[in-house]
Amino acid sequence: MLAVSVRDLGWKYSGRNRFAIEHIDLDIEVNTFVSIVGPNEHGKTTLVSCIKGIIPSSFHGVWRGKVEIFGEDVRTMSAQRLAKEIGFVFADPEAQFTSMTVEEELVFGLENIGLPLGEISGRLEWVSQITMIEDLLDKSPYEISGGQKQRVAIASVLAMKPRILILDEPTSMLDPLGKDFIFEIMTNIKKETDLTVIVVEHNIEEVAPLSDMMVLIYNGGIAKAAPPAEFFENSEFLEEHGILPPQATMFFDRLKRTNNYTGPLPISFEEATQKMEALLPARV
Amino acid sequence: MAQAGVISQRMRRTLLGTVPISSPLYALHPVTRFFTLLFLSVISMFIDLPEINIALLIFIFLYMKWARVDISGLRIYMPLTVTVAIFMFSVSIGFPSKRPEFHTFEFLGITFYLESLYWTFASYWRLMAMLFGTIQYFSTNRERETLVAIRSLKAPFVITYFFSLALRSAGMFMEDLRTIREAERARGLDETSLSLRDRAKLYAMYMIPLFTLAIRRTDEISNALYARGYTISGKIEGGGKRSDYILTHYQIRNIDIALMVAMGLIFIAIAVARIGFGVFTVEESPFRQFLIQLVSGS
Amino acid sequence: MDNEILIEVRDLMFEYPDGTRALQDIDLDIYSNQFIAFIGQNGSGKTTLAKCLNGLLKPTQGHVKIDDLDTRTKGATKKIVTKVGYVFQNPDHQLFNNTVYKEIAYGPRNIGLKEDEVKVRVEEAAQVCGVEFKLFEEHPFFLTKGLRQRVAIASILAMRPRTIIVDEPTTGQDLRQSIEVMNFLRDLWEKEGHTIIIITHEMPIVAQYSKRTIVLGQGRILMDASTPEVFAEADLLAQTYVKPPQITRLAQAMQRYGFSRNILTVSEMYNAWLEAIARRA
Repeated sequence: MLAVSVRDLGWKYSGRNRFAIEHIDLDIEVNTFVSIVGPNEHGKTTLVSCIKGIIPSSFHGVWRGKVEIFGEDVRTMSAQRLAKEIGFVFADPEAQFTSMTVEEELVFGLENIGLPLGEISGRLEWVSQITMIEDLLDKSPYEISGGQKQRVAIASVLAMKPRILILDEPTSMLDPLGKDFIFEIMTNIKKETDLTVIVVEHNIEEVAPLSDMMVLIYNGGIAKAAPPAEFFENSEFLEEHGILPPQATMFFDRLKRTNNYTGPLPISFEEATQKMEALLPARV
Repeated sequence: MAQAGVISQRMRRTLLGTVPISSPLYALHPVTRFFTLLFLSVISMFIDLPEINIALLIFIFLYMKWARVDISGLRIYMPLTVTVAIFMFSVSIGFPSKRPEFHTFEFLGITFYLESLYWTFASYWRLMAMLFGTIQYFSTNRERETLVAIRSLKAPFVITYFFSLALRSAGMFMEDLRTIREAERARGLDETSLSLRDRAKLYAMYMIPLFTLAIRRTDEISNALYARGYTISGKIEGGGKRSDYILTHYQIRNIDIALMVAMGLIFIAIAVARIGFGVFTVEESPFRQFLIQLVSGS
Repeated sequence: MDNEILIEVRDLMFEYPDGTRALQDIDLDIYSNQFIAFIGQNGSGKTTLAKCLNGLLKPTQGHVKIDDLDTRTKGATKKIVTKVGYVFQNPDHQLFNNTVYKEIAYGPRNIGLKEDEVKVRVEEAAQVCGVEFKLFEEHPFFLTKGLRQRVAIASILAMRPRTIIVDEPTTGQDLRQSIEVMNFLRDLWEKEGHTIIIITHEMPIVAQYSKRTIVLGQGRILMDASTPEVFAEADLLAQTYVKPPQITRLAQAMQRYGFSRNILTVSEMYNAWLEAIARRA
């Protein structure tokens, strides 16, 4: 069964002339990591909001097509059920932190879905470990940094044990250290859970090595969807559509096009160094 | 960084100031401490006698010292107390209540009406007792403890949640205000060189970016709440009661119950004494009798 | 090229009211016509230092002089704003007028310029920033984020400061928007002769645009040099949790094959690769 199935999805915000997204077809398998990339205001957030159900429940507009989560139509699911199945992390760490301590923040969602007290502490422990916030539980929002708040945000949605996790530009407001933590958490989540993860990101360099599939949204439609190595093959196409491959990948693409290299393009820094070592003869 | 959570080893930041990191007071349940707020900030309404209110004020200070509150940090309230004093006494001296039975005396060419002045004196100390009765609570309780107190009193979830959200919003608001003031200074705005009228206009001006930010954030916050399955009613799908995890950290003990009952009884006793039997009125003040004798004797 | 000193910093130490020491032993000269980047982790002091450079924060010890005017002088604020402009990261913090025209005109009016001079300044700034004149009567609240940012920059430019500090010009922007903003800042530097200081976390941007990079860590300047020299020092950068751009790190990993430590772009890397291969032959 597919985790997410999108068929001919379209959405037009009321008051606008054009559809924000149109004719989107997308299948996301269970336990995969999908990155959604592309220029701003081209439909990335709209797409994931439709998958999560924020659209159409919090917005007025015109809906076309269908979105199914594990075979069920999202529009038939209540807010609480959606919260149980799909976790959603936003870009702004401040706006997501609505309580006065980290612990309350984590427990909020769990109380909302009626989890018994005994289970709550177990979940708390698990989730603080995976997001590395164990010593922050007692702190208030103004005692912690933006990066730490974002980890709390991820922890508080993970605590609900959803089957799908959506992150909409989770690192765009964080400093490099904060960003590193978030990508580390994403790696942990990929390794230790069987969550289906959907990430909207500008930081292609960090998110490509984690992705099973990358989707380029341009002008409200899918311009390209493929596993990373294939995705980066035509860097001119990507550049015309407002994104760039990681620098190391672009370098190898250059080598490929000047016939200095054959083989798949490296996706991660480690892969790139390995391939370079292989290309350059060993020297003492 | 400017916002260190731990200011020093002893104090910890809250929305309104600081609270001690450890304190003998924390052995009490937050709801008991909340009772002290209700008790100490209201009880002086029934007591006119400045002797008692001043004693109460001294008690409150000793109590705060015992609770390890940073007394020197309370200096920020000095301007307020002085301003209120100046205002109240100026009005009282400038526009006294001139009853014929009042005793008068002259000083520096001004006629003082003793009873009228004394009434202001009594009101001032009453006000101070109520003020510091409130301040002691906020100097010894974090926002979380207030929320725990309200939830322990079984207030409906919507109310406690909105209260929590209001506190959080207030925090964001103050942070925004700080950034906006800085941003305006970077535009060349020099607050210190402005007249009073211009400053008033300035604060009105700050409202605009504050509202802009608040409006933009409202969308995000409501989406974030939706994503967490929150519904206004606070009810759970499929019935069942909403569990309250945070409360499990706190135990109500015998001493809590004893103190709350004590405060409740004393409160009722004083209220009844005042309303029913006219005790604690200003006429009974020994100091007042003393001053009247002094003035009429001379 | 004749470079005068626009801002002079000596022995700067800055402590916040609660006692946190944010800056220590800072000595710095900002020259005319430079493109500078401040980098370092959050809490390293880079924003604090930038705010000392335009008088928003006054030194606890030491001094900051802008054109020989000490920032602690009474009434300095109005003078400083014509010399050093500061653009905040979120334009919503800085926009408070109800039309675009009034927003850009605010600064010039505030320093007492006559209305016809104000008009000249507004139109000039709007033009440079790509804010169309037909938007002058619009309310800034309803503009797109990119336009609001440009109005914010225009309102600073209307004061004609020689130095402009921009806090996080590309955060949250996509590729095209980032290039637009950075090219615009580069034109301000190259064509209009301003000194631009950017505070940023995005190293590829620093590599591509800034000529001089100042690295801050724990309240001190760890390094102040040309950008290639700075990115060569990966260990020093690691102290303040900064990583050089990916391509630089790739070259550094290949150091023993003769790749230099300060490669900043894919093209440079390609050329270096060709040289490495040629050396083999």
